[in-house]
Amino acid sequence: MRARAVERAERHALPALAVTTVLVLLGIFYYPVATVFRESVVVDGRATLSVFWAVLSDPFYFGELGRVLNGTPPSAVLDSLLSGDPRLGVVGFTAYQAALSSVASVALGLPAAYLLSRYEFPGRRTLRSLTILPFVLPSIMVAVGFVATFGQNGTLNTVLGALGLGQVDLLFTLEAVVVAHAFYNAPLVARVTTAAWESVDASAVETARSLGASPRRAFRDVVAPQIYPAVVLGAVLTFVFTFGTFPIVLALGGFELATVEVFVYRLVRDLEYAEAAALALVELGVSLALLYAYLRYEARHTVSAEGIRPLPRRPLRPPSLSFRELAPRVGLALYAVVALAVFVAPIASMVSASLTGPNGPTLAHYEFLLERQVSGTSFQVQPWDAVRNSLLFAGAALAVALPMGVVVAVLTTRRYRGRKVLDAVAMAPLAVSGIVVGLGLLRGLVFGVEVGGTRVAVGGALAIVAAHAVAGYPFVVRTVAPGLAGLDRSLVESARALGASRARVLTDVELPLVWPAVVAGAAFAVAISIGEFSATVVLASGTSQFTMPVAIERFIGRRLGPATAMGVVLLVVTSASFLVIDRLGGETDAF
Amino acid sequence: MRRRNFLSAAGAAVATTVAGCSGIAGQTESDDERTLVVGTYSAFIDAPSTSPGAWLKEQFEAEFDARLVWQTPENGVNHYIERQAAGVDTETDVYVGLNVDDLVRIDQELEEGLFVAADDVDGSDGVKSSLAFDPESRAVPYDTGYVSLVYDSTRTTAPETFDGLLAEESAGDLIAQNPASSATGRAFLLHTVSRFGPDGYLDYWADLQANDVRVLGSWSDAYSAWSSGEAPMVVSYSTDQVYADRNDADLQKHQVRFLDDQGYANPEGMAVFADANEPDLAREFLSFMLRPEVQGEIAVRNVAFPATEDAQLPDDYARLAHEPPEPVTFTYDDLAGNVGTWVEDWERQFAEN
Repeated sequence: MRARAVERAERHALPALAVTTVLVLLGIFYYPVATVFRESVVVDGRATLSVFWAVLSDPFYFGELGRVLNGTPPSAVLDSLLSGDPRLGVVGFTAYQAALSSVASVALGLPAAYLLSRYEFPGRRTLRSLTILPFVLPSIMVAVGFVATFGQNGTLNTVLGALGLGQVDLLFTLEAVVVAHAFYNAPLVARVTTAAWESVDASAVETARSLGASPRRAFRDVVAPQIYPAVVLGAVLTFVFTFGTFPIVLALGGFELATVEVFVYRLVRDLEYAEAAALALVELGVSLALLYAYLRYEARHTVSAEGIRPLPRRPLRPPSLSFRELAPRVGLALYAVVALAVFVAPIASMVSASLTGPNGPTLAHYEFLLERQVSGTSFQVQPWDAVRNSLLFAGAALAVALPMGVVVAVLTTRRYRGRKVLDAVAMAPLAVSGIVVGLGLLRGLVFGVEVGGTRVAVGGALAIVAAHAVAGYPFVVRTVAPGLAGLDRSLVESARALGASRARVLTDVELPLVWPAVVAGAAFAVAISIGEFSATVVLASGTSQFTMPVAIERFIGRRLGPATAMGVVLLVVTSASFLVIDRLGGETDAF
Repeated sequence: MRRRNFLSAAGAAVATTVAGCSGIAGQTESDDERTLVVGTYSAFIDAPSTSPGAWLKEQFEAEFDARLVWQTPENGVNHYIERQAAGVDTETDVYVGLNVDDLVRIDQELEEGLFVAADDVDGSDGVKSSLAFDPESRAVPYDTGYVSLVYDSTRTTAPETFDGLLAEESAGDLIAQNPASSATGRAFLLHTVSRFGPDGYLDYWADLQANDVRVLGSWSDAYSAWSSGEAPMVVSYSTDQVYADRNDADLQKHQVRFLDDQGYANPEGMAVFADANEPDLAREFLSFMLRPEVQGEIAVRNVAFPATEDAQLPDDYARLAHEPPEPVTFTYDDLAGNVGTWVEDWERQFAEN
């Protein structure tokens, strides 16, 4: 009797989850965001494309394209295109900057993935867990770290001066912005690529080798095709994120390098919603087009897998002094120097800023945190509460984002027409301007909607968790879906033939086979939740629901100390969380 | 879309009646414990240095036998504009922290007033007339700041004039802020409009840009870059030495310069919401904020200048908090219909790609 009930519940588990997922997405994301985007096409109650046209045909935003559209003679546009210095417009410049950031992130992320997936050394697992750390840091902390590292009186110049190499002036340039974006996103590239590399089946490589392929050939024909999609995914996500970037550009570059999002912010602040929404839609269009192109590519390049026996890792210490053994390790050593400068130095600077006062080393900033905790009033942000909330929200968001992500991954790996479009639409939370999401949540949820004369408003902890889950679940989809698509269908079919429900096949057969991807997705979902700011401040019903990034923002003042001390707390708590996730997630070697 | 029920009608009525009639009747609760909800910006109640919020709450509650609840919406007064436009009650009695362009934006956006006139609250006649910035007397000033240059005199001597900033020796020396995301950045931009006129300020900025001025995002971006020695001058507040002194910093590294002997005044105002639940208590709160001892306390804790003539300030306050020989500021009428264009034209010139 009970077995029957369990069976029935199992049979309906997936459809029920799918319906819930769609409802959550509609309520927390698509509807609120639509209320804002509507502003660009409905002006004074009438549908119009005039606002859109005005933005598209504005050379300030669209450069030469805008000039063509606003009626500049084509010959004049052609002349400036050929002159070698065409007008990019804000949108063009933002794309250019995002493309550079993607290249830099791949360049800095790939060697890390190679090191983490192909070499064995003490602390490897810890290092792998911590690679994602930069991804969660609030931009204000990154700016502080970068000024202290690459500024005129920064660490880099101190080191160069000691070596007698002169001074470099890196700040307030496009280069500084690109390196900061790589700081954020190279970990993303490294993490997804590592997961893909660890999922490569060793037997396929062995087969190729036994058929006479050289190691290089085996890598090119067997290993690389399974890694490419992950690398491209990392590049595409970096582009999408840096295309919608805002605070970092102004903190480390300056207003000359203003991106589209800078103008979205200003227009929203001045309540010029029509133009703001039109610009944000342009952002979304570019990002979704790119994601859609990636999804088409991913679908063509899924490699079918039957199980995982990861490639054996090599020891980091060279077994012999031959060129073949030394060359990659020397390369990794050089990379380590660069990684120290780009990733470790800024974080170390934050830590040192939190321990420094005007008169040398001090613990005063940590005392400030304690004092705030002990004697702060109810309407002030309390550090411990912020830590607790961050962890609670991250845990709960993970519990929601994982099933959501897996369900959407299952739905989009079935074969039907238009599934790639659906898949791209499901990725929208990655691509929508954070400013627009915040405004949409305010209007759609916090103010509520009139239902039959009463106002239904949503806010507080549950809404925050839902918003964090919506922001994080696309990562779960993107890490899990390729693995699921590549699984041998006969596994699923034989399990089904033996009477297992679809849900049971998923949890007992399919997910264990793509487990590294599930763990990587989980880590991203947690990272997104811990770093999230804009939805949290809008939905929190009071200071008691504020998280670590909000506390950091509140503690910014004339002295950097209090904010950086809170930043160090965030670093420690986040590091611990990622170590726990990876330990609980286990190593793939366990299979 | 922007229709409100009876409150909108009431609000419109209030906005057009002579001030003094105390507006709409909120829900008159029993008088055992009244609650006053006050919206403000977060630094007013929760800054890492000092902020007046806790002290004000304690004093007010002790005297008025009421509860004071602070609210700090992330997008400031825009939050309430949004609420009213969506037809939702603001559920707030007072807003603390209005400036001139907030009022311009409110009046541009909303058909009926968000706030009611409050020029007859006790003590409002003590407010310095130079600070009054609302022609409709809704916003009552409670403090003011002056935006100036702050410079490290161990590294440079700041020029004395705007034109001096264009000189060769000042190249790359100044960090300013984005007018859209920072109050100081906005004030500095408006100061240049005031100094060179709406027809001349863009030319001045073109020269300033050629001389390598840095325009960063927020005030804290700029101030922390300046503190780390990226440039010797930054656009900030003329009360900079008050903080520096508190943190035992070297005052030589925190010198204030009023270009052309002028500082741009940024008075902050407070106002009573048209749909306040406790309009009477709200007006008592405004009076309370204007008392001499409270004015002194706000100035010290918010590190600003009082709005009234008779504020009680500590004796050495003037030693560290500098007032410009000639305060300049734009009035509501100057800004209405212009400020948006000024900022946008500046953006389009400065960030042209």
